[in-house]
Amino acid sequence: MNLEQLKQLKEKAQKQIALREGGKKYRVVVSMGTSGIASGAREVMKTMLDEIEKRGLDDVEVHVTGEHGLEDIEPVVLVEEAGGEKTTYAKLDTEKAKKIVAEHLQKGRKVDNLAVGRQKKTE
Amino acid sequence: MFEELSQHILDIAMNSISANAKKVQISILESRRHDRLVLRVRDDGCGMDAAMLKRVLAQRWSSKNKRRKPVGLGLAFLRQTSEMCGGHFHVRSAPGRGTSVTASMRLSHIDRPPLGDLNTTILALCATDRKMDVQLNYRSDEQRFFFDSQEPAKKGEVNL
Repeated sequence: MNLEQLKQLKEKAQKQIALREGGKKYRVVVSMGTSGIASGAREVMKTMLDEIEKRGLDDVEVHVTGEHGLEDIEPVVLVEEAGGEKTTYAKLDTEKAKKIVAEHLQKGRKVDNLAVGRQKKTE
Repeated sequence: MFEELSQHILDIAMNSISANAKKVQISILESRRHDRLVLRVRDDGCGMDAAMLKRVLAQRWSSKNKRRKPVGLGLAFLRQTSEMCGGHFHVRSAPGRGTSVTASMRLSHIDRPPLGDLNTTILALCATDRKMDVQLNYRSDEQRFFFDSQEPAKKGEVNL
């Protein structure tokens, strides 16, 4: 275990805590249950956080939650827009996660070939 | 199965969130001198009674998501890993008294998974919806490290 890496943790955690304060345009929810973790949800979350930081997107917040009940298509990420529109992305990996950040979160274009299910609009 | 011990830690600590814990304490002791690695995840959540404790340790039983397909392998996975690596696995819990999960293993055991990306594990726990205090206490023969997610807020370094 590298102590230097652990020291960086404090800095990153502070940013992350500041990021979850709400009122952002996009809310990204990563499913982090047993099957999610086993299929790489943690790495997907890290890639998204890094990519969001790299691109300087400050209208995005990233949250972690338990199982979504979609165990067979993990890792699953839900993108909620301020207007109430929800998109579920499934079977992700780090490359696909980068694409979602670049397309959906930065340019506002949904990545249709990675999305699953029908569009849902909540009131 | 998980490839890294830090994935086990994340998985176990996610249970603390379901148990409505306000605080989760993760401690890691890595001692080359004693050839031992000990992980402990302790929370102040709702806890479990003896009957439930017995069920969660069996594979394929989960308290979550009854309608869907419960996986219920988290604790079973960690038990398998620690027992496979010459260690012990222990859960202590009582209703209203929180839960403490301890897993030990032989540090030099050939099958022992690496600790892995502990930072991302802690980051993920800091990103949950519930504002849970996450503490990490890491100790080895030479060094100590302590992290507390409440610490930055206390010092006023983060604009909340």
